[in-house]
Amino acid sequence: MTTAPLDSTPSASAATSPLPFLRGATHQRSSATRGHNVFGWLFVSPALAILLIFLVVPIGLALYVSFTDWSGVTSPFGSTVHFVGLANYRALLTQPGLTQSNFGTSIRNNFYYVLFTVPLQTVLALWLAIIVNNRFLKGRGLFRTAFYFPSVTSSVAITVVFIFLFQSGGAVNQILHGLFGINGPNWLYDTRGVFTLILNGLGVHNPPGWANGQFLGVTWWDWLAGPSLGMCVLIIQITWTTSGTFMLMFLASLQNISGEVEEAGAVDGASPWQRFRYVTLPMLRPTLVLVLTLGLISTWQVFDQIVLTGQNNATMTTPAYESYYVSFQDNAFGQGAAIAFMLFLLIVVLTLIQRRFVKEDLTK
Amino acid sequence: MKKRNALASMALAGALVAGASGTGFAAAHAHAKVTLTGKTHGVTLTLMFGSSGPAETAAVNAAAKAWGKTSHNKVNVINASNLQQQLDQGFAGGTPPDVFYLSSTQMETLAKQGQLLPYASLVGPAKQFYPALVKAFSYNHTWYCVPKDFSNLALEINTQMWKAAGLTNADIPKNWSQLQADAKKLTTGSVAGLSIGNTLDRIGAFFAENGGSYMNKTGTKFVFNSPANLQALNFVQSMAKQGIMKFPQQLGASWAGEAFGEGKAAMATEGNWIIGAMKSSYPSIKWEAVPMPAGPKGVKGTLTFTNCWGIPASSQHSAAAVNFVKYLASPAQQLRFANAFGVLPSRIATANLYAKRNPSVAAFVQGARYALPQVGTVGWPTVQASFDNQVLGLATGASNPATMLNQLEQNAQALLRP
Repeated sequence: MTTAPLDSTPSASAATSPLPFLRGATHQRSSATRGHNVFGWLFVSPALAILLIFLVVPIGLALYVSFTDWSGVTSPFGSTVHFVGLANYRALLTQPGLTQSNFGTSIRNNFYYVLFTVPLQTVLALWLAIIVNNRFLKGRGLFRTAFYFPSVTSSVAITVVFIFLFQSGGAVNQILHGLFGINGPNWLYDTRGVFTLILNGLGVHNPPGWANGQFLGVTWWDWLAGPSLGMCVLIIQITWTTSGTFMLMFLASLQNISGEVEEAGAVDGASPWQRFRYVTLPMLRPTLVLVLTLGLISTWQVFDQIVLTGQNNATMTTPAYESYYVSFQDNAFGQGAAIAFMLFLLIVVLTLIQRRFVKEDLTK
Repeated sequence: MKKRNALASMALAGALVAGASGTGFAAAHAHAKVTLTGKTHGVTLTLMFGSSGPAETAAVNAAAKAWGKTSHNKVNVINASNLQQQLDQGFAGGTPPDVFYLSSTQMETLAKQGQLLPYASLVGPAKQFYPALVKAFSYNHTWYCVPKDFSNLALEINTQMWKAAGLTNADIPKNWSQLQADAKKLTTGSVAGLSIGNTLDRIGAFFAENGGSYMNKTGTKFVFNSPANLQALNFVQSMAKQGIMKFPQQLGASWAGEAFGEGKAAMATEGNWIIGAMKSSYPSIKWEAVPMPAGPKGVKGTLTFTNCWGIPASSQHSAAAVNFVKYLASPAQQLRFANAFGVLPSRIATANLYAKRNPSVAAFVQGARYALPQVGTVGWPTVQASFDNQVLGLATGASNPATMLNQLEQNAQALLRP
């Protein structure tokens, strides 16, 4: 190895570390290694500086802003900006009012969006990956391109197309009317929750007494309403667009599974389903965890689609959109930053829970 | 309206009060005399504006060039793609433009932070401008900036459909019952009699026509939850439920002007911005505008939307900037802007002159004397959005007018609490 001179200490881990200066430097006080340390830090300093200036400092500043009443039209450190302590967080969590109920509603909307989108897009992506991984499929390249295409198209453009498809006299409603004689709803503006509609169908129209209680300014009846018809359109759209990206990830790891493993399973008499369930799926586990984690994080941050469709429908707002709206429309940047940090906490907590239940490596 | 005319002279007293109460106003304002800084020639100013289209961009550029030439200054014109955001960035960074478009809904945020120069009375006495506009750009009894122009709501009628339904000039709606009867006659299978946007910025006109309002006279309390407003909202709902009035989204349009232009609605309630849209996008439609009908008690009402010429308090060239605004807000220049892109002059005499020369805009100008301005209280956009989100539910019965108004008043009132 060319790095041999650097690894003068007989440490086992040292040989494997690509950045020797990051090792526990306390044990290595020789002047030679100190020189290496300086140069090491020097070489990574541009990257570190960029991270610090464009990531760490803005996050710190946003955290500071979330404790102030900054209006966005003065310097955040100016004399007109007041430190308000936890007031912005109180307005979200404990203080009844419009801010709280808007926040609660956006969490509710986004929760159902995640609940339906993440499993749907993961299953669809896996299914598509298995199909295009089939060696006997003709025109595989064409299918791979076709399935991946929605992912490379601008989300704004796709959303606009969906708005046209699902408007009151749009293609979807015309098909519904032409084929089934159904007068379709005004999809993107429909605020009725899917679960509520099912309950209405079963004859339950009024919420039971316990459902009138509130959490985050939203009644339990509304928490349990399910995604609105408008949100369902977005769930369909996102599932369609993102499954291509995740299909690519599944495909990459499917191609890493050698044919011999499959054949061994077949020789042992496993049915195609058993081979998938007990051979392929466990080997895809790291990718599955990756896809679920990425899916969970990105769906909690959905924004582009909401800006285009959520303007007239309170059942389609999300915390990311609330944060933007409160900041830039109301000039309440402190409140907006507080919403952003609540969303950040939520994502961290949910990701930790998810990682606890879906382990990357079963042997650990 | 004597009180409003005296507004400019009251600015001194108002500023004194504001200064004394110590709400963060600079001491200079207590003297009400604005100290202007910088030279009046040889200066380079920045003008930031948000354009409605090529016509407005060209007119603003031409005005800046003309003033620069006669006054020996230079103006850098910035056509902002997102005016509010770019303005905020300018202010936050300490480099706001010297002159900028400022909407009445954003004025209070800047004034409250002491970022806006209250120069308005230097340009002309308040009585030369429409009182509603002066009021829209006043905060704490101080008139801050000169209204640039305004737009009012009127009722647009598709004259071909009007005749086809057997209606004549005598049927032009003077009150709600006539409006309802006309809308009923104009409604066919695929055409709604009337279309209005699903927002308080259209429905509020019905409040005004019924003698209702947004705030009390002194501007200290919101009064949405009044019997007059409830009756008006009930009227809107009854029209929506009958299907003779439809919101644009029910017609597959993004705004009422689109539904009107595409022949999906026989009448619409929009402002004078519809003139340009009809000319460019739907030139074949024959239409005319009439004033909004009066309410059951004969009260006239409409809504007004306006921008002013803002100058930042921190401007190093405020002397030149005020001169520039004097030019931009002069009667001759206001007429040039009106002719170029259809906005209405904010000076009463100039607006009347413009209406006389252009009879088609008369219906829009007429409402200026009694129009209600938009609410500009800090934090208002979220409050209005939560009302607007429920408007579509009026048609299906999912929203209840009494609950909507009650919530609106509560949410709005919460903004006034310190």
